[in-house]
Formats: sequence, C-alpha cells, structure tokens
Amino acid sequence: MIRRAIDAVVVGGGSAGLAAALRLRESGATVAVVEREPFLGGILLQCIHTGFGLHEFGEDLTGPEYAERFIRPALSAGIEIFLDATVTEIGEELEGRSVTALSRSLGVVRFSARVVVLAMGCRERNRGNVAIAGTRPAGVLTAGLAQRLVNIEGCVPGKNVVIVGSGDIGLIMARRLTLVGCTVRAVVEIQDYPSGSARNIAQCLNDYSIPLHLGHVVTRIEGRDRVEAVRVAPLEDGNPSPNREFRIPCDTVLLSVGLIPENELSRAAGVPINEGTAGPWVDADLMTGARGIFACGNVLHVHDLVDFVTEEARRCAERAAVYLEGGAREPMIPVNAGANVRCVVPNACAPGRQNVFYLRSLVVKNDALLELRVGGQEIRTKKLAHVQPSEMIRFGLEPGAIQEPSSDTGRVIEVAIR
Amino acid sequence: MSADNAIRSARVELVCIACPIACRLTVTTSLRGDVTVTGNLCVRGEAYGSEEVRAPKRILTAVVPTDSAQFPCAPVRTDKAISRGLVKRLLSELYGLRIALPVSQGQVLMEDFDGARVVFTRTLPPDEIPPVGKPGAESEGHNEIPGLEQAP
Repeated sequence: MIRRAIDAVVVGGGSAGLAAALRLRESGATVAVVEREPFLGGILLQCIHTGFGLHEFGEDLTGPEYAERFIRPALSAGIEIFLDATVTEIGEELEGRSVTALSRSLGVVRFSARVVVLAMGCRERNRGNVAIAGTRPAGVLTAGLAQRLVNIEGCVPGKNVVIVGSGDIGLIMARRLTLVGCTVRAVVEIQDYPSGSARNIAQCLNDYSIPLHLGHVVTRIEGRDRVEAVRVAPLEDGNPSPNREFRIPCDTVLLSVGLIPENELSRAAGVPINEGTAGPWVDADLMTGARGIFACGNVLHVHDLVDFVTEEARRCAERAAVYLEGGAREPMIPVNAGANVRCVVPNACAPGRQNVFYLRSLVVKNDALLELRVGGQEIRTKKLAHVQPSEMIRFGLEPGAIQEPSSDTGRVIEVAIR
Repeated sequence: MSADNAIRSARVELVCIACPIACRLTVTTSLRGDVTVTGNLCVRGEAYGSEEVRAPKRILTAVVPTDSAQFPCAPVRTDKAISRGLVKRLLSELYGLRIALPVSQGQVLMEDFDGARVVFTRTLPPDEIPPVGKPGAESEGHNEIPGLEQAP
C-alpha cells in the first residue's frame, strides 16, 4: 500500500474535478486528482458536438476542445494525477480525511487529506428506473452509452432506433445516429413538452425530420433475442390509451430518461443527501454536511451547461482553499426551496459576500416571478421570461443583500416561483 | 412594404440555434428578396435567420476512423458552418479515411471544404501525465510535494 499526505484530494477528473483542482493548486495547496478512467476529461470527451464554452470562453467549442482547455493546464500545474484509479472509501482521520483508491498500476493508495472535493459526476437512469414492460432482448441501452460506443469505441449500436425521452443527450444522439447511417424512427416523450432545449429540437430533430411524440409512452418492448419493436401509446388522463396504441418496428431502443448524481461514495462517507437534487446538502461554501468534504458539478446537482459546472467548481475550490487556511467560518442563513421550486443549490447563503444559486422549477410557465423571502418578508424578486423543469435557473445575490443573521436564529431564506 | 407584398411574401417561424437561449425568430422574405428577422436578441440571431431561409448552414462534427486499436475514433469538426446540402458528402469523405495517430487538437485534416477547415478536436493519444510524486514541467517553483512513501 502507498501512503500519501496531501492538502486536497479531488475525486473525479472531469470538468468539475479539473476546474476545482486547478483553482486549489493556484491557491498553493497540494492537490491529487483521482480518476477511474485511463484519461482525464470525463464525459466531455464523448460529447463531440458543439455548444460548450459559450459562457466560459465566448466560443462555441466541442466537448473534447473544452476538456483540453483544462487538461493541459492541469498537466503542468504540479497536480498529482492518478488515472485508472477508483476511490473505494472516504474515511475519517484525526485531522481530516482518508481517501482509499485502487490503482491499476500502483495498487492500493491511501491518501491523508485535509480536504476532499467530490466531483464524480452523475450516471444515467436506465430501464429499471422507468419500468418499461416487455421482454428483455439485446438492443436496449442508455443514450450516453450509445454516445460512448459511437464516438469513442467506433461501433454503431443498431440500424433502426427509437429514443425514449427527449432530454438533450437523447436529441443529440438522434442526430448523431442519423449521421452514422441509422434511421431514428421516433423520439417518445411522456410529457407534453420536450425536456431538451428548443435549440436541440430544431437542429437535431427538425433538420432530419425525426418524429417527436409528445405526451406518449412506450408501453412495451418486443423481441426475443434482439429488440423487434416498441409499442407506443398517447396518454389520456395520465394513463396510456390502449385503443390508440401503435407499434414501431426497430432493433434498438435508446433511453434518455434523466441523470442521477453518483453519490454511493458520499453516502458511505456519511454525507447527508438532499432528496430534491439527489446530491449532498451543501452550505454557502459548497461544503457538505461532513466536515472537510466539498462537492461540485453533477455529483452535487445535474447541470444543463458545463460552463456552470466550471463556475461552480471554481467557487467550491476557492472556499475549500479558505477552509485549508483555517479561515473563520462565516455566519450563514439556510436556503430552502419554496412554492414551485424543486430544488435550490447551495442550501445556505453567506450574507457577507457574493452568493450564486442554481434552482429548478417544478412548473412550466411564461412571465414567471422568482421571489426570495426571509421570514415571510419579500427581499428580492426577478422576472423570468420562461421557466420549465429542464432549464436550470441561475441567480446571484450581492454582498449585503440580506442582513447578517443576528440573535434571531431560525431565519430561513425561501426561494419561490410565482 | 405594400399590402400586396405582405400577402405574397414568405414568413417563417424558426428557433435560433446560435446559442442555448434559442430565440423564436420570425423571418420574412419580401417579393423583392429582402429578408427581415425579428424576435432575435443578438446579431447572431439575425445572421442565422436570414441565412437559414436563403442557404442553411451547419457546423458538422464527426469521428474519423484511426489506425489505433486503443483509440479507434478521432473527433473532428468544421471550423465554420457548411451548407447543409453538403453534409452527406463531407461525411462520406471522412468515413473513407483512416488516420494515423498521433493527432493533436486544432491540427488540420482538410484545408478547404466549402470554405471551412476540418480540424481534429482531441489530442490522441492523450498527453502523458507527469509521473506521480514529481511536479509538472512548468512548475519547478513548487517542489513542496514530497515523494511517494512506500508503506511497510
């Protein structure tokens, strides 16, 4: 076993982990990044399409291009990088945390760290999560797995494809599979509105005349050894209508039915999880409920844009650096999701400095109003032209916008959409 | 615009794909061929809208086969949008190639396809990581990282 004492261990070498590691290193801390794949960059490497970096760089980059803007500096910054190494346990030590990793080349590596940054990202919901009836043939896979097969491994998963769910990955894959010669028969979405962006509906589906069935569900997958067809029905009063069911012959079913932050490691380390996001509860420093463990990126909550992951990871690293220097913890006020808000991150506000919040709406609405209340009193509103659950809302709160918590403990900031 | 023109001119509703805001555009083409775009928040929306009704263009991304078993695909992009009608032709040219690694990000694969360059977007094989326990090449001032200790 190799033992290693270090200031910070970053778990995950994707967009969040790299941005956090770089910022921590800039602050003078010694940093290790532990990545389970044999290369850095995470899921960005399989996202060969454009649309990344518009906020961060003012450029329309592909995933690999965006990733290399962080990989290159990370390689020359004096960050210790462990590839092909899986973190199996985060434990407690007298002063800080232990992180155990299994490395293909080094065997067991045991870090003693004062700070751990969780940056493991998320995974895809699969067939078990959405309970589609029918047989269990080959040819049913998640959209992200298909993306990896086509863009990294160089194999095409089938010929005639039906995509379940209209999330952005599903839409991107509809176009991608068309470009490698597949026929995408349909995209089936349970809700009455697409969960992916309007831009992706336009450039991924409409450009190739791919039919989108809104308010429809796949009621059954057919086929013995390989997928032969799916049955699709429109929803009537929330239930599939058997009379209007139709059959789409296909050999492949792609699932694009949502992402889940990957928190098995966090849970085992005793990090409390927020059910609204499926990620850790975090305070205004993006520190979890377990002292010295911070979280950022898709492991904290699923983001729409990598640019926001980068921003969040840097902020997380800045606060982790302050923690490493033993800086005094600022007073904080809890932040809760109110009416029509599914979740808000972080779950506390430090009134003395700039705060940035991300939240998701529970409703689809035009001309909505974002409302912040403290103890029932309205302190801030913001007009939002359009809200929907699939689009993350970002807002900032400048220093001093809220009075420092005094003796009147129990004050809570509530964020609501009206 | 005369009433007559208004009736006979073409009006198209589009979603702008220039950025994730996805403005809803209304593009009107008069009989004289003048194109007006409304609903856009920025100049890119105007450019997209008028181009889309005249000669639609798209940035194309794809992977090309390599000679490597470890990294069988090298991702590429066009640096500018190309005519939508030429996408298939470019794809079949790309799929017919077999690239010898290494390649680096930004390296040009095709100098001119419909006025655009086709470039690699990923460095393959990836740059070597610095050996663990030693600082990176450009950080000689940070030698405080101690070497690996082998536990008994």
